Amino acid sequence: MNTTTEKRTTFDRKKISIFLLDHVIEICLILLVIGLTLSANRFLTWANWMNIFRANALKGVIAFGMTMVIISGLIDLSIGSTVGLSGVIVAVACRDLSAEGINLTTACIIGMGICFILAILIGWLHGTFQHRTNMPAFIVTLTSMYALRGLAGKLSGGFPIANEFPEWFNMLGGGRIGGINGIPIPAVVLLVSFFIVWFIMEYTITGRATYAVGGNPESARLSGIDVEKTKIIAFITVQLMSVIAGFMTSGQVMSGTFTFGVGWELDVIAAVVVGGTSFDGGVGKVWGTLIGVIFMGVISNGMTLLNIDVHTQYIVRSVIVFLAVLLGSYRARVKA
Amino acid sequence: MSVLTIRTEHITKDYPGTRALDDVSLTYEGGRVHALVGKNGSGKSTLVKILAGAVLPTDGAFYLNEEKLHVNSTSDAYGKGIFSVYQEMSLVPGLSVAENIFLGRLPKKNEIIDWPKTYRLASTLLEKMKINIDPHEQVSRLSMWQMQVVEITKALSFSPKVIMLDEPTSALAQNEVENLFDAVRALRNQGVIVIYISHKLQELPQIADTVSVLRDGKLIGTRQMNDVTQKEIIHMMFGEVKIRQRPNDLRIQDEAIMEVKGLSRKEKYEDINFSLKRGEVLGIAGMLGSGRTELLRGIFGADPFDSGEVVIGGVTHKSTNPVKMVRAGVGLTPEDRKIEGLILIHSVKDNLCYASMHITANGWIENKRKRDSFAEKQVKDLDIVISSFDAACESLSGGNQQKVVVGNWLNTSPKIMLYDEPSRGIDVNAKQQIFEIIWQQARKGVSSIFVSSELEELLEVCHRILIMRKGKIVDEVLPDHINVTGLYEICMGG
Repeated sequence: MNTTTEKRTTFDRKKISIFLLDHVIEICLILLVIGLTLSANRFLTWANWMNIFRANALKGVIAFGMTMVIISGLIDLSIGSTVGLSGVIVAVACRDLSAEGINLTTACIIGMGICFILAILIGWLHGTFQHRTNMPAFIVTLTSMYALRGLAGKLSGGFPIANEFPEWFNMLGGGRIGGINGIPIPAVVLLVSFFIVWFIMEYTITGRATYAVGGNPESARLSGIDVEKTKIIAFITVQLMSVIAGFMTSGQVMSGTFTFGVGWELDVIAAVVVGGTSFDGGVGKVWGTLIGVIFMGVISNGMTLLNIDVHTQYIVRSVIVFLAVLLGSYRARVKA
Repeated sequence: MSVLTIRTEHITKDYPGTRALDDVSLTYEGGRVHALVGKNGSGKSTLVKILAGAVLPTDGAFYLNEEKLHVNSTSDAYGKGIFSVYQEMSLVPGLSVAENIFLGRLPKKNEIIDWPKTYRLASTLLEKMKINIDPHEQVSRLSMWQMQVVEITKALSFSPKVIMLDEPTSALAQNEVENLFDAVRALRNQGVIVIYISHKLQELPQIADTVSVLRDGKLIGTRQMNDVTQKEIIHMMFGEVKIRQRPNDLRIQDEAIMEVKGLSRKEKYEDINFSLKRGEVLGIAGMLGSGRTELLRGIFGADPFDSGEVVIGGVTHKSTNPVKMVRAGVGLTPEDRKIEGLILIHSVKDNLCYASMHITANGWIENKRKRDSFAEKQVKDLDIVISSFDAACESLSGGNQQKVVVGNWLNTSPKIMLYDEPSRGIDVNAKQQIFEIIWQQARKGVSSIFVSSELEELLEVCHRILIMRKGKIVDEVLPDHINVTGLYEICMGG
């Protein structure tokens, strides 16, 4: 009698600790919001929160695609270069095609179309190449990171291409729904892309296959799952999202600049990892990434409001990422 | 120099539920090669582990030169001069032969590694082994038998008294075996006690001086190699086995569900032809390396085959892959369930529904309710013991894990099931349950191919047994017409 009750309490305790560990990032976010609300009086305002969303949506959009890639046991380092390249491509299309006498809006849409096709091509190449040669995804995408950045520099001639976009292109990055204090369009794009990736991962066989491929590619293959196709889908998704982020970035400043997006890959990966996705593949949640993106945004916003200098901000960010990964490995041990 | 001896006295080892070794007393002398044989689970590897200090005996003791040994760890055993060379190599592929031999204890001069001395010492040792390997060569560039010899040379560098070789020839080609034997003889001639574990009985007369047979943990006997026949050894290994009867309501239907025609893969299997009838349980027997696993994987498309075709339900497949085979109604439970069969970090429910993903979903969108019901059905039908459907598969016992692998496939309603060593590493009870599942499926008209290294199992479970040797089907027998020793002899090709 005594032993059974004892067993039950330890079992419950384990369940509770797993629950807490699974939601530790949400809990930290809530505590952080409370703390900042008390210490910085401009923090909990509509304008500030919309600002947080606007500033973090660009990388955030990519983070959802990156979650898919990391869950499938891969990595894509080339996304920052895609961001820069897509802005340059659209700018060049606007400039050169309108010089040929084509309507500026048509020219812009053609440029965006080229970017989407390019994203699909890059993703497909990454997936096929990584799968067939069994080269590490890190190396495969590192090489395209350099190549795409170089291509962007070549296309733009090494200078920003400013003021070639049509007026409405600015809306993508800088627009708001409902006037000057409305919801920023990037925030809307962030939420829409969250829902799309969340739906794929939770409710489709593509999502199920992505988890399986990351969990154990050989078992997945022998269960009749098309591993190559699954990898390609993940790589294409993250590239498409990088292109969209590229449009928003260049739209915000109305300039296609080949250096846009430098170093983004690591910020994006950090947000995904803070959201609880395992670097070993097979484990992770898209919801976690959304929280991870908001968390990283709130941290830097809060520190700026508290007049903490940017160097300290980097150190704080480092500690957060470290703790998140530490918690992740601890969680895996508790669950086992 | 007096002759070395190692003597075990009444060694017994109990594991929960089983006695792995039962009162084993034997004496081995230096300068001779002592073969230790027995079928899977006979206790030979337990005995080796005890001598090597990896496992403590429940009872009994052993003596080296009449000195009682207290060996509590492998490093204790090293200290006494007892070394074992396992099938899994402990060499570092990227380092040179000499570095591997002296790994962790490279000769130093003034705290700096003395490379000339390292290579000099290594070549002296290699000469002792009468083997021509360059000590500068990188280990990854050596052939399998050369690696085995380097491993033995490494043991030799510790001036060993006892060296145990665990299945050293299992991965070697015929000519390589000869080379390895030369090295083993060189080792023996230095007065070392060589204990040689092997299942390849036909090799024993070439290399062994004595042979000891273990069965069910007991020492059946030790004989001089030159006055025992292979037949006698096999008889000692198996004794009089009572094969259990398979249920008599299993009917084979006349319709051939699958035909394999001229299937070949270079260096793995050659010109394989057979047909499988609806409801039939077909066994494939063969020694390790006979090509049985490779053939199964070839049919399923886990690895490609070079030529030939597989005809399933009238459809000819010139090449196969798992995606195609799942659609054709074929399932494979792979040899290593942890590495190839399951996603250990994922839940029982997920693992039960991977192969049937395209069936449970409505097109692209998942139907969670249908998935749940599929998982529940298998847990109930196969009697899988789980704490919850969300528990990770790594937390299950071997038998339950194997049932999850089988359940994953039964959810696809297969026409043909390929089982590769389904009973490996699971307890007797779970084994019997797996057999029941295979028979139950046979009653429903599902055909099975059953590969196992346990010959008794094949005789119990199958309607018909194909025997493979060196990549070819050499014989076909009916379980009612043969006994274990007969089957073993055909597998060995004695």
